[in-house]
Amino acid sequence: MLVRDIMTRPVVAIGPEEPIADVIALMLQRRLRHFPVVADGELVGIVSDRDLRSVGSDHPAAKPGVAARDPVRTLMTTPVWTAHPSDPVDEVAALLRRARIGAMPVVDDDELVGIVTASDVLGALVAMTGVDAGTTRLEVEVPARQGVLADLLRRIADEGAEVASVLAHRDGDDVIRYVLRLASIDIRAIASNLDANGFEVIWPPLESSESTSS
Amino acid sequence: MSRPTVAFVYEASLAQWRLSPDHPFKPERLALLEDLLREGGILEADEIVPPAPLADGELAAVHTAEYIAMVERVSRGERPDEALAYGLGTADTPVADGLHDDVADVCAATATAVQLVVDGAVQRAASFSGGLHHAMPDRASGFCIYDDLAVGIHRATRAGLRVAYLDVDAHHGDGVQRSFYDSDQVMTISVHESGRYLFPGSGHTHEVGSGAGRGWSVNLPLEPFTEDDSYLEAFDTLVPRALEAFAPDLLVVQAGADPHRADPLAHLALSLTGLRAVYDRVVELAEHHTAGRLVLTGGGGYAAYDVVPRAWAQAWSSLSGRPVPDPLPDAWRRRWHERLKVEMPAGALDEADVRPQPQRSRIESHNRAVARRALRVLEMIWAERHAEAEPSDERTTTSKEATS
Repeated sequence: MLVRDIMTRPVVAIGPEEPIADVIALMLQRRLRHFPVVADGELVGIVSDRDLRSVGSDHPAAKPGVAARDPVRTLMTTPVWTAHPSDPVDEVAALLRRARIGAMPVVDDDELVGIVTASDVLGALVAMTGVDAGTTRLEVEVPARQGVLADLLRRIADEGAEVASVLAHRDGDDVIRYVLRLASIDIRAIASNLDANGFEVIWPPLESSESTSS
Repeated sequence: MSRPTVAFVYEASLAQWRLSPDHPFKPERLALLEDLLREGGILEADEIVPPAPLADGELAAVHTAEYIAMVERVSRGERPDEALAYGLGTADTPVADGLHDDVADVCAATATAVQLVVDGAVQRAASFSGGLHHAMPDRASGFCIYDDLAVGIHRATRAGLRVAYLDVDAHHGDGVQRSFYDSDQVMTISVHESGRYLFPGSGHTHEVGSGAGRGWSVNLPLEPFTEDDSYLEAFDTLVPRALEAFAPDLLVVQAGADPHRADPLAHLALSLTGLRAVYDRVVELAEHHTAGRLVLTGGGGYAAYDVVPRAWAQAWSSLSGRPVPDPLPDAWRRRWHERLKVEMPAGALDEADVRPQPQRSRIESHNRAVARRALRVLEMIWAERHAEAEPSDERTTTSKEATS
């Protein structure tokens, strides 16, 4: 999934000479939290709701000497972290966290084409987990080795189930845990196949032989 | 009050179709149930009502024309590649000749049960072949081809009734919820094992309905291994209050038997005693909120011989007010043991479960928190709806239709 699939557009941009008070009014009216600042068609800065709300206050983060009647260029942050429409969503998620910011303007050929927020990214990541798509959870643990995921997916395909999503994380150096969502209501055959072939099935609970009678 | 009048919508063919030879969804369990009720002396011949065929357009009110056409094609023996896009021909919903007619009959059975209650012919009607709550408007899913519940509910709404749908299957009732998500004539309530662990993955508390239906979808996702007491506590926290807020005319219950602890496809841990307590509550709730009008269907239930007939015998007992004989009739056990070559249960209820449940207190407290949180959010929405529906004195003078 790419930034262009999840970004918000059109984006509400402002000019650098815009009085801060007007931008605050716009923020409250449109319920937006980030405003790219554009001069002569070029992105020159960004202001956030936190910058705007602290103007004129005694808050330690407030920029000294900036008042609500001043132009927004006196308040904006520059330079700006930007994303490209074809950046992968997971990279953008990592960058938002590392830079400790809530949104990035999306720029293509020097042109501002959208904005991508932490909330957009979270929504995309939730969708990637496959939750809500008519699916059943399968969770397995397996020693890390080459080809293990291919083996896992082949065994699932052989049982005729469709894979909606795969998440993986390392449990220590030698073990990988996979959480999959399968588009199937009955995954008992898959679970016992995996159990018999070196995968530790964390979910679903494997059935005891007595309950298979009916 | 005189004996409640009840109907058992059934004919032998409803127990004779199958999705595939070894499929876990076994309509055959209906034959075991009917035989158990007859042999046990708690079902009278004149209470058995055969399904009346659907009218033209009743399936099409729930499912898309393209989807119905595809089901009809595969039922004639065609196997087009495009069928897969409709969820047909998968491991869950394999296709077989005659499928369309078989499942349309199930829809007819549930619609007949609804009609009997809507007409006042009986107070309570059961359609145990029904309960296909995963079928989507345009797609088969989770063993379900057509949604008999939505077909039946439409019968009632067309007659002007407000319908509360309560789904106690272990799986979320996603198909029925989808069909009525925007409706202010139908409330759907589903109590199920959390979608974090179980198919179909949905049924979160934040799924509350949208548009005109906002507040009228209610979801109570419970932890795996939830036992009787915790289930009933969470149920009692949310369900009666939801019915009170909606004020329905008819209660339709999907009584899947898979919350039972022996069910191989789900992980709730109710006993038959717990299921019986749910069925008794359902009857009480109907007495209290819908003048007794109650339709109850089957649903999931994959311990098809050991658990399902006994669970639904308890449901029928709640509806009819007649006790299930305990121990179960010998003749019934012998007959089905011979036919199926499996051990048939002797007691009407389970033996005590002595397995340790180390997570019990964590599960109980989690379920309690989920039920309360769901109720808190819904109460706010219901209060908003209430305020909109009943304008203040000043506004009534300017807007008369708002109060009608």
